Amino acid sequence: MNMVVVGAVLCAVASVGLILALGELIAHSSYGRPEAKRRAGELLRAVLTPDQYGHLMQRGHIDIASPSDPDRIYRVPKGPGRVQVREKGRLTMWLCLQPLERVPEADLLVMHKLMIEADEETYLRKANRFSPTFWEMRERPDLQ
Amino acid sequence: MGMLRIISKRGDDRLLWNAEDALAGDAEAKAAVQEAERIFAKEQAKGATAFRVEPGKPIERVEQFDPQAEQIVMVPRVVGG
Repeated sequence: MNMVVVGAVLCAVASVGLILALGELIAHSSYGRPEAKRRAGELLRAVLTPDQYGHLMQRGHIDIASPSDPDRIYRVPKGPGRVQVREKGRLTMWLCLQPLERVPEADLLVMHKLMIEADEETYLRKANRFSPTFWEMRERPDLQ
Repeated sequence: MGMLRIISKRGDDRLLWNAEDALAGDAEAKAAVQEAERIFAKEQAKGATAFRVEPGKPIERVEQFDPQAEQIVMVPRVVGG
């Protein structure tokens, strides 16, 4: 009888521990926090121009003009993913850059915008570069 | 009013101060400016980059905390992905 009671208590303690651990995990995930998303959305609206924000809502990306090269734009996707570098309208390179800390998606856009517009040299130096493949060109004419 | 926004997993952490009141000698306002400056330095030491973001002006990277700034946004350390 005592063994049954001890077993039941241990089981209850383990269940409570599991629930607390899951709660902690959810609480520390930016993806599961509506408040974090809301704040990130507010910052994004404050940082983007009205044109850029409209473009983002309609097309799912923003185009940021290079401060150093009038023929170059950076196409930054709404969600996580690589940034296109386009020169004279043609895809020339992919870039990948991310914060060490996990942040809401809207904050990734803010990060790209601030770094490209105010510190393009560092942005290009830190980002990993990838050449567009023949397959990407052939299968994804939207990239051209 | 000035605002320091630090991008994090919580969205962004915000700190407000009143530069005019601080200049006029208001102790609470001065403490708020000092706190913002302390957090700015702490985040910078962790590798964050700071940008001055003000409506109608080009975005500017800043190395020093400026209490006169309307808004400073700090981006955590970034790496190639």
